[in-house]
Amino acid sequence: MKALRVVLAVVLFVPLALFSIDFLDWLPRSLSWLMRVQAVPALVAHSLFIILLLALLTLMFGRLYCSVLCPLGVFQDIINRLARRGRPNSGKKRRFRYVEPISWLRWTLLGVFLLSLIAHRQSNVAVTVLDPYSNFERMAVNLFRPIAVGINNFLELLFKMPFYHITLHTITIWSVIFAGVVFLGVGVTAALRGRLFCNTICPVGSLLGLLSRRALFRIAIDESKCTHCGRCTRRCKSECIDFKTAHIDASRCVVCFNCLDSCKESALGYRNTLLRRAAASAEEAATINAADGYVAATVLPARLSRRTFVAASIAATATLPAAGRILPAPAEPHSSKLTPITPPGSMALKHFTAHCTGCQLCVTHCPQQILKPAGLQFGVNYLFKPHLVFFETAFCNYECNKCSEICPNGAIEKISIEQKQTTQIGIARFERELCVVITEGTDCGACSEHCPTQAVRMETYKDTLRLPKVYAELCVGCGGCESICPVTPVKAINVVANSVHQPVQKPEEEETKEIEVNDFGF
Amino acid sequence: MERRDFIKKTVTAGAVSALSFEQLFAAAGGSKMVMGATPDMVAVMGGEPAQMLAKALEALGGVEAYVKKGQSVVIKPNIGWDKKPELAANTNPELVGALVEACYKAGASKVSVFDHTCDNWQKCYLSSGIEAAAKAVGAEVLPANDESYYTEVPLPNGIKLKTAKIHKAILDADVWFNVPILKNHGGAKMSIAMKNFMGIVWDRQFFHSNDLQQTIADICTWSKKPALNIVDAYRILRKNGPQGRSINDATVLKSLIVSRDIVAADTAAIKMFNQVEAMSIEQVGCIAHGEKLNLGTSQIDNLNIQRIKL
Repeated sequence: MKALRVVLAVVLFVPLALFSIDFLDWLPRSLSWLMRVQAVPALVAHSLFIILLLALLTLMFGRLYCSVLCPLGVFQDIINRLARRGRPNSGKKRRFRYVEPISWLRWTLLGVFLLSLIAHRQSNVAVTVLDPYSNFERMAVNLFRPIAVGINNFLELLFKMPFYHITLHTITIWSVIFAGVVFLGVGVTAALRGRLFCNTICPVGSLLGLLSRRALFRIAIDESKCTHCGRCTRRCKSECIDFKTAHIDASRCVVCFNCLDSCKESALGYRNTLLRRAAASAEEAATINAADGYVAATVLPARLSRRTFVAASIAATATLPAAGRILPAPAEPHSSKLTPITPPGSMALKHFTAHCTGCQLCVTHCPQQILKPAGLQFGVNYLFKPHLVFFETAFCNYECNKCSEICPNGAIEKISIEQKQTTQIGIARFERELCVVITEGTDCGACSEHCPTQAVRMETYKDTLRLPKVYAELCVGCGGCESICPVTPVKAINVVANSVHQPVQKPEEEETKEIEVNDFGF
Repeated sequence: MERRDFIKKTVTAGAVSALSFEQLFAAAGGSKMVMGATPDMVAVMGGEPAQMLAKALEALGGVEAYVKKGQSVVIKPNIGWDKKPELAANTNPELVGALVEACYKAGASKVSVFDHTCDNWQKCYLSSGIEAAAKAVGAEVLPANDESYYTEVPLPNGIKLKTAKIHKAILDADVWFNVPILKNHGGAKMSIAMKNFMGIVWDRQFFHSNDLQQTIADICTWSKKPALNIVDAYRILRKNGPQGRSINDATVLKSLIVSRDIVAADTAAIKMFNQVEAMSIEQVGCIAHGEKLNLGTSQIDNLNIQRIKL
């Protein structure tokens, strides 16, 4: 059983993790289904089918989701495995013990999460911060991806093709700090206390826990065989087996099956509980009472570490604003960038802000690296969410719809290339008095050159000089003009976001002109 | 084993190119004597790209006159845009493929192709058909999308542009060919051989903010001149350049203009262009600037031009 769980986890985790850092675009886009079956993306995107499937899975087999599908869960198992916590022969200090759940925190966070999920149009910040999938992705995008890019650049030095040098433009400080705090917090907790995060902080864990305590198949202890030796408890990374009372807290069990082969008496089994429901409920009532007694005896050390954990979390959170003060204040944004430019397919700023949980998968996959995670410049509700930032020849490619194809949340709805080319995400605003044609009296036209829709045209100004003119009805807001404009620090042409994306017509085709040329002309 | 071989080859190639840098100039200088008999410019009309290239090269003394055995070659087409060949925004892929083949036939050790694109480079390489055409005949298609590929070189003769970051592949190569497509251009008026130089440099924004026409001429003063300027006029972009809006902006001329003289090649190309759309030479300021910088002549009537109709 355990082998099957491990195989499933590896088979699902490895491609997901690789796809999260696949900046070279080597993997097929279809792998994004691994993200789509994650619980929070499914909830946010209202994917009823996936939600039902996950609920059914949990009602059948318990929190298998947490053990094989959730990347943050598997990440913790990897850390835990490396720390050898709870392994046989790993010394007394490295063993798990039974502890009571920190219920008040667990249910409070679940409540906050659900509130945020329901009121996502007001603020989904709690969903953004608590979603285990998004947290894993942010670690992958902001911590693991730069390492992978470093390795890539090293390989490029050695072998040249097929590697090519990459300069990362999409690392922003807030996301890195938060991902780092999560990495350390979850990493250390996982190394010391197994799945404590999943059973205390994670709202998906708590939600599935409500179902898993009624799961059809559950790990159960056959009391007639149990010798109360405690081996199972020492191996249980959910810290949910109380060997003294032979009780297992099914709401916290992530069905990792580690306990099964730890039992020398084969007293533990993964059993169909349907037949014994009546008996089981009576049993449960009894064990709860017994557990209370047990807790009273052991509560002191457990509380202590729990207290440290809570204190550590609060301290970590408290450092965030402090870090903000240490960091250099960001430059005052240009008047054209007060509203974030959201990717084509996101339809409107409101829709995007309500549905994006800042997983930043699109940040990794944008071939132009123009999707940048925001800090607090657009308010707390836009924290970690990507917005378009144009720079040196990097703008939204006219022939690309990749972000819309991989977004698991429906924050960027899937759109075709054709739809993308007729969606106006913003409008270029030309600042005549800054343009080099005016200030220097020389040819330029870089903006017009880069415009894929002829929305920026060069029109006669004086002598042979021509000046850009914006035809807003053709502009899609791709930023080609802004990216290449040579005027610094403030560009002479800037895209101003559309809070609600607008449809535009494709430029009309002109009539073909038949031209016969039979001479060289010189 | 393969990887080891590859490293060895790369290292040797690098060493060889470093050694033969001086020889290149000696060879280029020496060949001028031979070229007295060859025309200053060859213009071909009425054939397919590969066929016209073969005719032009033959008239210019064969590609062997420019590529010696064992030399490394860079071909610099215009691959600026994520557009299909029919839209005439990029150099004709068949022409690039044929030139790669010709270089290998002459004994080139390695032929590389790159451009500093405007759209996403992978998409440009793919859509233009140039990556496929070049790779099919054994060329190496190099990325040029990152500053780390570029090295700063001095341009002592430049007026406004005194230094530029140029792609290392072209710095390291023994020979390079400038292979633009003939296009109308919103900013520079025309994009031909001189404008194509902007694709070998990193910081193009400097050009735009410091007198585009002058800086285009300035970059062409770089001491390492292309062996030939091969202007693709199989399809030309007559308007809405440099990207073009639709296939209606492209016109099929089935022509090719080849010359060592970059100013002459561009002048001839503009004259050809004028049969389709009006464009005065004066408007394309880089021509006059180039002439002033002794890059070549716009008085092409005085040149020995061989015109070939197929």
